[in-house]
Amino acid sequence: MIEFKNVTFAYSSTDADGRAIEQGSISGIDLTIQNGEFVVLTGGSGCGKTTITRLINGLIPHYYSGTLNGDVLIDGKSVPNTPIFETAKKVGSVFQNPRSQFFNVNTTDEIAFAAENQCIAPERILSHIAETTRNMQIEKLLDRSIFELSGGEKQIIACAGINVLSPDIVVLDEPSSNLDSSAIMKLKSILADWKSQGKTIIIAEHRLYFLRELADRMLILEGGRITKELQADEVNKLTFADTERMGIRPLSLEDISFSRESSSNHNEMLTLESFIFTYKDGKHGINIPKLELPTNSVIAIIGHNGAGKSTLARNICGLEKKCKGTLTLNGKKLKAKDRLHYCYMIMQDVNHQLFTESVRDEVMLSMTDKSMPDEQKAQKADEILTQLDLIEYADTHPMALSGGQKQRTAIASGIASSKPIIIFDEPTSGLDLAHMKQVAVEILKLRDMGKTVFIVTHDLELILSCCDHIVRLEKGEAAENYKLYKDIAARLRQFFAN
Amino acid sequence: MELGLSSTSDKSVKKLDPRTKLCLLIAISLIMVGGKTVGVEYILRVICAAIPFVLLLTVRHIKSALIYVMLLGLSVFCEGSVIPNISGAPNLILMILCGIISRFVPGYMMGWYTVRSTSVSEFMTAMDRMHVPYFITIPFSVMFRYFPTLGEEYRSIHDAMKMREIGQSVKNPFIYIEYVLVPIMMSTVRIADELSAASLTKGLCAGGKRTHICQISIKFYDWLLMLGSLVMIVLFFVF
Repeated sequence: MIEFKNVTFAYSSTDADGRAIEQGSISGIDLTIQNGEFVVLTGGSGCGKTTITRLINGLIPHYYSGTLNGDVLIDGKSVPNTPIFETAKKVGSVFQNPRSQFFNVNTTDEIAFAAENQCIAPERILSHIAETTRNMQIEKLLDRSIFELSGGEKQIIACAGINVLSPDIVVLDEPSSNLDSSAIMKLKSILADWKSQGKTIIIAEHRLYFLRELADRMLILEGGRITKELQADEVNKLTFADTERMGIRPLSLEDISFSRESSSNHNEMLTLESFIFTYKDGKHGINIPKLELPTNSVIAIIGHNGAGKSTLARNICGLEKKCKGTLTLNGKKLKAKDRLHYCYMIMQDVNHQLFTESVRDEVMLSMTDKSMPDEQKAQKADEILTQLDLIEYADTHPMALSGGQKQRTAIASGIASSKPIIIFDEPTSGLDLAHMKQVAVEILKLRDMGKTVFIVTHDLELILSCCDHIVRLEKGEAAENYKLYKDIAARLRQFFAN
Repeated sequence: MELGLSSTSDKSVKKLDPRTKLCLLIAISLIMVGGKTVGVEYILRVICAAIPFVLLLTVRHIKSALIYVMLLGLSVFCEGSVIPNISGAPNLILMILCGIISRFVPGYMMGWYTVRSTSVSEFMTAMDRMHVPYFITIPFSVMFRYFPTLGEEYRSIHDAMKMREIGQSVKNPFIYIEYVLVPIMMSTVRIADELSAASLTKGLCAGGKRTHICQISIKFYDWLLMLGSLVMIVLFFVF
């Protein structure tokens, strides 16, 4: 049993000027979770759901410091007063970012890691690993380098590590953020398996559709408090309109509405020709002899992990020099090197593409026209920042912004570069409903400016709220290429439901 | 060329114990850096220079083994035939360059072999057997694990710079370095933070004991090589 007794926590951090401040996270939480219960925590970004998971696995107060009031008990024992390696015996954790949760490089070593730390005899660990491997059917993933695996495969390895030590409680902090629909289904079956073993599961998530049948209870948080508590039968009854009103992601993919009138009626096309590219490993790559797509519209690139979505995006951008393919835009044939001047990509991790000391500088950096004086550049930058609601942060350091603001800064730089093609790589992974909608609005704005927008995404809601055209990749080839309108949306849902 | 600890343990080749590799590394570095080029020490130097080459071949890093031999051969050739025939500044520069290559490269290659052929868990196990405390072992193993991560981050940042057309036109190298370093530092700090948190929830703890599933043992050829390194070090100090 997990008990929260009037828990209030504030992170201690420093503000932009280096002064110590306290950032409130949760306040007055009273919560009891029974053994074997499956609890879903949801709510907007910064609502405090991650904080609750950290209080259960002991990272608060043992790793993240701040002011803690009240007590968190697991089976009557206070977590803040128990050393974290003791808590680790009972509580297993899966995190959001698969890139940064592995201590080892080798997958088998990583699966054994938590058990090794608990001094379990090597023979027993090895037999547990063998059993887990059989149950989860992950023979192919053993004894590999973590760096070769996809995001979904990494999350499966994290789950396998939990199976080996087999703690009674598992907390998961947004585990599906970086996963595609098939990896999410795999995660769902692992969760179902744990539930049938009687484990207590606490999962903080934005994407809820895969949890509908599993959740015993759903807690909606807002501003650090639990504002709504739903039991399993109530969760099952939630419709799209209900979740929309509560500001959370839908619980079923079927009832996401597609209300938009498709507005782009252009006949102008851009053509990709002989986009053939293979990575060094010889296995992954793309093979697209010819593909015609409408300009000045929003094109979604979908497909399972490893189907070549990101590779296609990189090639459109011209980041792979070896690709001999050409892109014809307005009668101009562009080779890889030329495409770098025509395309701008907003990366999944925007931290990689922010270089300067202020948001305004960041936007001005993209204006490569040397004949334009600096004052004029600054003026133009401010105009763009106003459009994207960033003007109040014009002098702020980009790294001091929130994730969404950073992404908008990157979009602003894209607009400033006046390139006709803008590409988004997974723009909504790990975003709540409100932020997802905001991204959709920004993408539509870009289209209204006359840009052609490509989006690599797994997010059906995003596609239905802003895309005009769909390209589905399979094993590196363009399997489908169609315009999105109301009657055809069912076909799209089917792909995501599988 | 990849950096960082090896990811898979190849069972087909005879694996050296990490402790043997460390012994060899110490012997090679000492003798190659400090040794004279005459007498017994000359023979020791030849042996020491050959060891990394052989070891690299055993882990099938044929390309780097060949580059190593060529580099070494070139510097020996220069020291023997070119340097005596020229004078002035070129003589000095070439002498320094050859000296650095012949003295430091073998040790560097041995170090690279050690890192490439040892996995994180082998390293942890070996250190544990030598009773090295965790507060030394853990930071080291995290550091090794970190190199590939740094590589990944660097590649993404490099792509972003290419796309934004910065870096190529910037003539000032300091600006290039700043543009690479700032995002790399930001993302590595974040990854390190998340990595520590994840390791803690998996029960990693500097005070406790842990078991190891990885099997390492000192075999006959390990004893032989360790004895060999010891003999070489003794000879090196005696002569």
